[in-house]
Amino acid sequence: MRPLKDAFGVALEGGPQGAFSKERASATPVRRAAFAGSPARRSKGERAVPSLAPSLRALQEWFAAAVTHPRGVTESIEERGKIGEEPLYADELERIVIPTAALSSKERIDIYRDGYRARLVECLVDDYPAVAYALGEDRFETLCHGYMAAHPSQSPNLNAFGRHMAEWSQGFADPMAPFVSDLARLEWAMVTVLHAAPAQNLSLAELSRIPPAAFSTATFTKSDTALALEFAFPVNAFFQAFRMDRQPSVPARAWSATAVFRDGATLWRMDLSPPMHALLARLFGGSTLGQALDELAASGLLTEAHGPDVMRWFRDWVGHGFFGGIQVAA
Amino acid sequence: MEKRFDFPNLGIGLGLRTVHYGHLLEHWPEVGWFEILSENYMQTAGRPLYFLDQIAERYPVVMHGVSMSIGGADPLDRDYLTELKALKQRTHARWVSDHLCWTGVAGKNTHDLLPMPYTDEALRHTAARVREVQDFLESALLLENPSSYLEFANSSMKEWEFLAALAEEADCGLLLDVNNIFVSAHNHGFSVADYLAALPFHRVVQMHVAGHTDVGTHFVDTHIGPVIEPVWRLARDAYERAGGASLMLEWDAEIPSFDEVHTEAKKAETFMADGARCAL
Repeated sequence: MRPLKDAFGVALEGGPQGAFSKERASATPVRRAAFAGSPARRSKGERAVPSLAPSLRALQEWFAAAVTHPRGVTESIEERGKIGEEPLYADELERIVIPTAALSSKERIDIYRDGYRARLVECLVDDYPAVAYALGEDRFETLCHGYMAAHPSQSPNLNAFGRHMAEWSQGFADPMAPFVSDLARLEWAMVTVLHAAPAQNLSLAELSRIPPAAFSTATFTKSDTALALEFAFPVNAFFQAFRMDRQPSVPARAWSATAVFRDGATLWRMDLSPPMHALLARLFGGSTLGQALDELAASGLLTEAHGPDVMRWFRDWVGHGFFGGIQVAA
Repeated sequence: MEKRFDFPNLGIGLGLRTVHYGHLLEHWPEVGWFEILSENYMQTAGRPLYFLDQIAERYPVVMHGVSMSIGGADPLDRDYLTELKALKQRTHARWVSDHLCWTGVAGKNTHDLLPMPYTDEALRHTAARVREVQDFLESALLLENPSSYLEFANSSMKEWEFLAALAEEADCGLLLDVNNIFVSAHNHGFSVADYLAALPFHRVVQMHVAGHTDVGTHFVDTHIGPVIEPVWRLARDAYERAGGASLMLEWDAEIPSFDEVHTEAKKAETFMADGARCAL
């Protein structure tokens, strides 16, 4: 992590081994305080009831439902009441899963249920470390468990699993929900930029070849590795304090805007003032430079005095690869 | 001993882990090869590939997947296989492996290596899918024996019987994870010796060693290191039976410095030098 200041004195921060970089692995996570004091179970190989022989699909559908059910294995089995076409209830699990001396059939299935939940929560902690910190372990797990039930993974890959979290957390029954949703949007922006394809960036040299008179007609191609976001809370300041281990408290509502971008392997965040955000958002949205400046002047966000600032912002945005190209009217 | 699908013995390798990227790019240590988790470099066009491209330029790479769901009841995911093949070409990966398991059904993925019922139906189904994957990848697939925490009552054969029959039926390679054998043997009460005795070692191209966690009622395949001595002994035994194979250490929990992981993996040198001579 290399905190530094940019030309405007705005805090930037990034690094090749920061958050959002933990790999998924084939290992099995261990649930907290798992399996202590399980009562002794049936001896190995000793079966009280004849086993069932469901088809592969029936068995997998039944097992997956038990493992992913939000309330538990027993609840899933009782709700289904059958495996394939065969009736099956929770007190008959030995017909499907062999118990051991140490673990009942249900406890053995629970190992997979706990692993499923722990693995996906781990993934969401990786994507949303500051949200996890803000909510604390128990409330974050509650948020995640609801999320997993509402948005089960349908992808072979977990890279995009957390993409609905900002929207999901808006409905979270918690007074912090509006802040958490904003913070999740910032953190997901970082994940998005991390996975975005690197673009051929517009260079300052290319920019210098544009005749000054043509600038008002110029439109800019937004780079996929840059995003500009507007928030109702100062979430970037919170995130920065979290990353610096300053144990921040949830801040009061206050407007903020942040650009998130990547340069090579390094993720960066740049605070944006209201005129900076308004200008950048319009350029990212396809406005010509002239239109954007006129609108900002009309709204009072920009005055003549901002002239040198605008040049500086613009040079810096280009330098950080915010734009992939420029088009000017013929 | 024949049948290695023309795959080379790469010696001792390590799992490529993000916490070691900085060290690798700064020091470029001498390492035989790296195993990558395939899915970590799929559905991304950004930073993961930025690092992987540099690593793959300098080291032999093999690909290890967790989402093929080779034993799953759903159709094989063609988009996944297409991206997998593209990644293989991009990294010049020596081979592709995945697990004998299923990961989800009805379009949903649990991202876990779920246990198979060892039945005739599952055997026929899985063998057909392995052949389909191999045809698609135009290369032999290696299948890894998983750690498991339960056995289905309708299984009509043991895991090692299933694995051996599957490998023959599908003509695929094996990635033998000796820690997984150790973990599953404890969890299900079977004999490691029975397992090893049944395996077609001429199909073992790669081996895994790793650490695990004893939670009292069962062992969990946590990949926390270092590797305990009984697992190293098992690795030596399997290595000698295979007459040599590429071997790598998986360390995924509380990952220490690169040098510490590398030093742990190099413990295999004590038996691999002999085994390599035997094989080559």
